[in-house]
Amino acid sequence: MTAVTTHPAPPPQAGRRRVLRAIAAGACVALARPAEPAREHLELALRETFGQRPIRPGKVRLELPKLAESGNVVPVTISVESPMTERDHVKSIYLFAEKNPLPRILEVHIGPHNGRAQVASRVRLSTSQWVTAVAVLSDDSVWSAAREIEVTVSSCG
Amino acid sequence: MSRLGRGRVRVPERAAKGEIVEIRAMVEHPMESGFRVDNMGRTIPRHIVESFTCTYGGSEVFRVRLHPAVSTNPYFVFYVVATMTAELVFTWTDDQGGTATEKAVLAVH
Amino acid sequence: MTAQSFEQTRRDFLVRTAATTGALVIGFKLPATVLAADGAQAPEVTHWIVIQPDDTVVIRIARSELGQGTFTGLAQLVAEELECDWSKVQPEYADVNEHVRRNRIFKDMSTGGSRGIRDSQEYVRKAGAAAREMLVAAAAQQWGVAAAECKVANSVISHPSGKRTTFGKVAAAASKLEVPADPKLKDPKDWKLIGTSPARFDIPDKTTGKQIYTADVRLPGLVHASVVQCPVFGGKLKSHDPSKVSAMRGVKRVVAGEDWVAVVADNWWRANNALKAMPVEWNVGDNGNVSSESIMQFLRTGIDANDVPVARKDGDVQSAFAGAQKVIEAEYYTPYLNHATMEPQTATALYKDDRLDVWVGTQNGEATIAAASETAGVPLENVYVHKMHAGGGFGRRGPHQEYTKQAVKIAMAMPGIPVCLQWSREEDMRQGRYRPVGIIKLRGALDAQGNWVGWHARQADQSIIVTVRPTMIKDGVDPINTRCFADNPYAVPNFTNEYAMRNTHVPPGFWRAVAHTNNPLARECFIDELALAAGKDPYQFRRPLLQGKKDLGVLDAVAKAANWAQKPARGVHRGIAVVDSYGSFTASVVEIAMKGDNTIDVQRVIVAIDCGYICHRDAVVAQVQGGVIWGLSSAMHEEITIKDGRVEQSNFSDYPVLRLAEVPPKIETILVPSGGFWGGVGEPPIGAVIPALCNALFAATGKRVRSLPLRHHGFTYAT
Repeated sequence: MTAVTTHPAPPPQAGRRRVLRAIAAGACVALARPAEPAREHLELALRETFGQRPIRPGKVRLELPKLAESGNVVPVTISVESPMTERDHVKSIYLFAEKNPLPRILEVHIGPHNGRAQVASRVRLSTSQWVTAVAVLSDDSVWSAAREIEVTVSSCG
Repeated sequence: MSRLGRGRVRVPERAAKGEIVEIRAMVEHPMESGFRVDNMGRTIPRHIVESFTCTYGGSEVFRVRLHPAVSTNPYFVFYVVATMTAELVFTWTDDQGGTATEKAVLAVH
Repeated sequence: MTAQSFEQTRRDFLVRTAATTGALVIGFKLPATVLAADGAQAPEVTHWIVIQPDDTVVIRIARSELGQGTFTGLAQLVAEELECDWSKVQPEYADVNEHVRRNRIFKDMSTGGSRGIRDSQEYVRKAGAAAREMLVAAAAQQWGVAAAECKVANSVISHPSGKRTTFGKVAAAASKLEVPADPKLKDPKDWKLIGTSPARFDIPDKTTGKQIYTADVRLPGLVHASVVQCPVFGGKLKSHDPSKVSAMRGVKRVVAGEDWVAVVADNWWRANNALKAMPVEWNVGDNGNVSSESIMQFLRTGIDANDVPVARKDGDVQSAFAGAQKVIEAEYYTPYLNHATMEPQTATALYKDDRLDVWVGTQNGEATIAAASETAGVPLENVYVHKMHAGGGFGRRGPHQEYTKQAVKIAMAMPGIPVCLQWSREEDMRQGRYRPVGIIKLRGALDAQGNWVGWHARQADQSIIVTVRPTMIKDGVDPINTRCFADNPYAVPNFTNEYAMRNTHVPPGFWRAVAHTNNPLARECFIDELALAAGKDPYQFRRPLLQGKKDLGVLDAVAKAANWAQKPARGVHRGIAVVDSYGSFTASVVEIAMKGDNTIDVQRVIVAIDCGYICHRDAVVAQVQGGVIWGLSSAMHEEITIKDGRVEQSNFSDYPVLRLAEVPPKIETILVPSGGFWGGVGEPPIGAVIPALCNALFAATGKRVRSLPLRHHGFTYAT
């Protein structure tokens, strides 16, 4: 279970910056990766998508190469442990890249008719960063996995 | 002016009832992210495929919302439980009203 | 063949051939871990350091040695904290495959941006400190004493009670201990090794010809390849006729890519001759008509445009110019330049049983392994990159891995056969990643007292970063190309820097010192123009504008060394310039005499550099000397021109570089490390040299040169 730190809601006239700081500090998000300052960019996207639901590390497997030369065509496979029955299945899978100009990459909607909660694609990563996959289950629980990738061409003069 | 091209799909010709089959689908599209600049530094406008859906026997079995970070010629691999002999219809839609459709029949025994 | 048996076979092969073949394999230093006495791996005391029972200290180096001294400098940083016997230190490249398998444990492998020492220094010093603590803890444990009571020096651990041991004896026990998370580092005043000049590991072999480069690697069954790529950048291969050459002596195979074709033969000469004889046709694409003239016109549209993205805006430049006593305007131009590394682009690849081996003098082991893996479709874990010392990098061998990819593609076409692909000099000249071309228009406003009150700098040039990391371009501004202007240190109250991107089909690249090779010419020569218009000495004109900046320190140092306050000797003329880059501050005075109207006798070049802390003192001096040579060479000689969409130059005959006889007799380095920071050293020395030379030329001839190379203005260097 996540350690949830609650902060008093900022007053209505608080600027966006204060809201973001509260979100980042509040971190109802225990992402599946070593402790690291959560990026505001990603946090905001996660809050917008999943609301206040805790996002737990687990169930999701994210396959991503450790290195990519240009980051233009990076193969990615996301699979989620699930029996994919009517009662217990994955509803949706999301992919985020925290340092891309836009953090969202794709959103997939599936159901028991798929039999396997797995999707593969090819994506663009603009620089070395963490990539996060999030799955929403039929019981509305939210699970995640994150992997780090180094994009080598972006380290230059 | 949409630059959506042709779709290509790979669906097994036949499967046993209840078998989980792998589907591959791709469409030609530049997926211009909106973050590139031309040779004089001016932003090249975004032009991307925004959605990809697959129906099987008329019901939706797979839907993707794509953002600019999906690579050129968007490619997906996903799975479907073979239930009946029916048509799979793949539809891609881009942000300039372009649509492309591909069909394939899955024979289920 | 498993990885292990391959290693064993490779080791046996190398040991055997070292003993019997002689010449080519002599000097090929086998990784120390392979040579461990009983064949077992000697223990790691942290992943950075392996200590042999005989006290040999193997230090793993993640960056690449390009002649800049990184191999030695990084070892020095570790050794300082480790307190080992320096005479037993043996650096080796951290294995790239192992690095990937161990989740990038050796951190950044890229060698560029003058970052090798300054970006690594903290964590490699901590590695040394951590290892030292582990070794002492192991000894203390064995002796049943407190670690704090022990002393360490020169690989010897001792205790007041008389107990004594060496690193080699406790390394195994130390390797089992937990690595301290945040070991304390020495205060710089306690450094014994950092700041000194230990013998460089790479110099002896390079001087005696023993150094092995990629093209010297000999493997059983090795074949050789030469490649030609579409001479018009962006074009594609249309057709080629292998039948015309496949019967030529020694030819094994012809392999084609999307925009290149290669011939493989039993030696490079035969491969290259067959390549030249083979009919090849290209679809040159849209750029077959591009020329240096058309590029100049294209740049001019940027200079003349109405609306140009703004990189920096201070105060109100319009008013400053409106109210000015004097307005000076000048345009500066610099051409494309090639890295022209002495070692042409070379890579050797072997694909066998789903394993890929690549030998290459890369500036970034990770870029190579990623490129090789993606090209071959072989997972990273099955790719083994053997880093070789490079025969010059200068920015050519990092982000650009096309020679690696070509070698891999050829190797994939010939499984089990190692292929050495070497670009001909012509190919290297014509398929570079060039320092971009550009025009800079400068306007300066002086008030009645001759103070510099307004400045407008508009640049029109080709962006490099847009090709590798386009998201760094914000609102049309290139943050790298606008250096020297957008980040300039001068306290000018009203300043606008505009940037007009004008990219051509010519592929750009990071040429040693990047924007600090062309922008300083314009800036520092223009400041001299302003000083002249203000009736002020160029050194004194600059001083008040640099108050509180580290730039002033180096400017003063170089002026003092040149005795700037006194008139120079008769016939000697001087120029001065100051440029900061890559975290360091430099200034230069160049002294010349003219022989006749056109021959420039560069008599003395002085460079002062403040890089904060110095790691290897002689290496810094060497980098200054090399930087001076690099600057003088491009100032006088170098230029890449475009005709019919392709590079016109082919070799050093038409792309001249500085010759030994032209090197000034005096290159003086003034080290003024002010401490407290780590600045780069590879590139900074170059920035101030070219403008200082051009300022000296003005002093000597009254001729203001605003475009390079100087030879186009009729000048030569004295020899």
